[in-house]
Amino acid sequence: MSGSGGGVGKFLKEWIFTIDHKRVGILYLIGSLAAFAVAGLMAMLIRVELSSVGPTITDPNTYNVWLYFHGAAMILGFQIPALTGFFANWLIPLQIGAKDVAFPRLNALSLWLFWMGIILALLTFVVPNPPDIMWTGYPPYSILSPGNTAFYTFTVLIMGFASIAGGVNLITTIIYMRAPGMRWGKLNMFVWCTMAAFCIQLIFVPILGTAVTMVSMDKYLGTTFFSPTSGGDVLLYQNLFWFYSHPAVYVILLPVLGIIFDIVATFARNRIFNYKVAVYGGVGGITLVSGEVWVHHLYASGMPNWIRVGMMMSTLLISVPVGLCMLSIIGTLYRGAIEFKTPMLYAIGFIFLFLIGGLTGIPLALASLDIYVHDTHFIVAHFHYVMAVAGTFSIVGGIYYFWPKFTGKMYNETLGKLGFAVTFIGVNVTFFTMFFVGLEGMPRRYFDYAQMPQLEDGQRLVTYGAFVLAVGFLITLISWLHSLFAGKPAPDNPWGSKSLEWTTSTPPGPGNWPDVPNCEKFDPYGYGE
Amino acid sequence: MAEDAVEHHEWETSPWPLVLSVGVLFLAPFAFSMYFVYDSLMLSFISLGIGVPLTLIAVIGWAKESIGGINLYTKEQGFGSGAMPFLIIAEAFIFIGFLVAYWVLRLTADSWPPEGSPHIGYTTPIIMTIILVSSSVTMHIAEHKLEHDNRSGFISFLIITIILGAIFLGLSASEWSHLLHSGFKTSTNIYGSAFYSITGFHASHVIVGLGMFIVALIPALSGSVSKTYVKSASMYWHFVDIIWFFVVSQVYFW
Repeated sequence: MSGSGGGVGKFLKEWIFTIDHKRVGILYLIGSLAAFAVAGLMAMLIRVELSSVGPTITDPNTYNVWLYFHGAAMILGFQIPALTGFFANWLIPLQIGAKDVAFPRLNALSLWLFWMGIILALLTFVVPNPPDIMWTGYPPYSILSPGNTAFYTFTVLIMGFASIAGGVNLITTIIYMRAPGMRWGKLNMFVWCTMAAFCIQLIFVPILGTAVTMVSMDKYLGTTFFSPTSGGDVLLYQNLFWFYSHPAVYVILLPVLGIIFDIVATFARNRIFNYKVAVYGGVGGITLVSGEVWVHHLYASGMPNWIRVGMMMSTLLISVPVGLCMLSIIGTLYRGAIEFKTPMLYAIGFIFLFLIGGLTGIPLALASLDIYVHDTHFIVAHFHYVMAVAGTFSIVGGIYYFWPKFTGKMYNETLGKLGFAVTFIGVNVTFFTMFFVGLEGMPRRYFDYAQMPQLEDGQRLVTYGAFVLAVGFLITLISWLHSLFAGKPAPDNPWGSKSLEWTTSTPPGPGNWPDVPNCEKFDPYGYGE
Repeated sequence: MAEDAVEHHEWETSPWPLVLSVGVLFLAPFAFSMYFVYDSLMLSFISLGIGVPLTLIAVIGWAKESIGGINLYTKEQGFGSGAMPFLIIAEAFIFIGFLVAYWVLRLTADSWPPEGSPHIGYTTPIIMTIILVSSSVTMHIAEHKLEHDNRSGFISFLIITIILGAIFLGLSASEWSHLLHSGFKTSTNIYGSAFYSITGFHASHVIVGLGMFIVALIPALSGSVSKTYVKSASMYWHFVDIIWFFVVSQVYFW
């Protein structure tokens, strides 16, 4: 409990005990970027280990812990909290014209539970017998492993509870707290996309919760859900796990698309092409189909062929609503007055990376082809393109886009563009090469590839690419720090956007606006009138 | 570019969310893994000793603050009944997860009930059902009394509901202890796993519901009630009641 008398004490109190949605959002951002940094470091260590045949810098057990931390922290600690924590919290009340979220204290609880999850995840490096079960926690290994599976379960449960509470909070906010005149038909795309992501979370996170709870109950409380010798079923876990974890991809993708929509509309000075189709067909379609495709993660796990065919169809089907969204994004660019600022470069980079990731997803959706590349580096490259890197590009682009608003400082355009260029090159060297390494037969998650020494050159190139990638992110980090300490003060609306969040002062104070804005005549994408 | 109009507002703060989450960190992950993973009863008790007081202090402080209504911008209690349905959807899927696991394992089993399952009598579950349903009815009456500003009627029916819920928990506990003493454990077979986890999760929801009622009851005794809070707590209670029908029909009577 810090004192409230002095300047520093008051400052600390107003940040640590804050229940304001903007500050909660920024604290989410700090936590998720910390997770990103540590998980990124793990990725570099993994790459160094794989850069040559045989043990390079570590032993298999430590390597497993790195893999566990990289996956779990990147998804649960970085991408989901950055999108549904930072962007959603910070942006939604500003975009719908609300003074705060519906339950500000619950919002702060979500934030701090998320931080407790981060602490729990970081304890992986301190405690004896750290968890070493990947982010998937498949039994039987997660039950037989000497590692601390309980930490894995509780990390997932705590972060899961935080995201459900956040989802309930923001859905209620969007439904009940829109400014007068802010009708459903003129919400920002980001609001639509994030609301859909929260609906997906409400349904699927609890299922993940039950799956990981059953794993820990099997391990510590004697139940036998996943133990075949006592009537349990290992495949049950895989189904429950992917029933959440595939929709989790859309929990990431939807807000990512929302950010891209808003960046593209602003920098192309154009309305959203096919707004209604993008909302009902695209966002609505993704939400509806998201829950029916999970079995394509299990093509190699054994199942009747008719299920494979059904799941092939639904997996291919989901590319239709995703395609509608991409069509709207590209249609918004068409005949727009495009301005290539850093956020726009990231948005265009996203379109490119997402395209490669999406196209390589088609062979993976087809069970007959997937069987051959299942659990190889090809898959690793595919989901890094489509989710990890495309998502991160959108997050970084979004941070640049809203940077002037939430920090009150302008960033240096040259540094921003340089960071983009280096990152973009690094990404493609790393992951495009990885496709070929995977097609040559390199399995994922392996510590060593002594039987396939011919892959060493490819693996080394991937590792070089990863270092370029890391340098790119470092430049981005430097540009942010440079802006924080030496940036010029930002005007209220540096990009000339029509969206509501830019009508506040920079940075927005408590309560966002002096009065709730009237949105009768407002149109977030009303360019050209 | 800060404008004068917003400068006279203060940033709002509340320490309780942070305190609560630190409490939860010690209460659940630390206490659990100290005992089950690192085999240290003492460290587990120390974790509980830190976690339980922090959690209680935070819940009390939070409840006091919300009823004081210090938030300037939103009537925090105003949206409770609007938000509860969404929480209930999420909660329902916890039970769907467990029930689906149970169905899959049961329907693919060679024979049912698996070897070692005792015969579980029908009397206790029938009594439990009657008690839980009547508690739902009494809660509905309590809510109705509150609507008509009958404070004392509200309080007495709320107390009856709490007592009925507590009796339900007591019956559940005595049944568990009876079955455990007769040698039916979580590890006995898949039915044991499903039985204890599903009824256990339901009981934990009853505990949460009772906690919500107690948080409503204590300030109500000194005359302050939040109607939307009571409405959402009551919604939650009806949900717990409905889920019980699934639990009782699937694990006891099927």
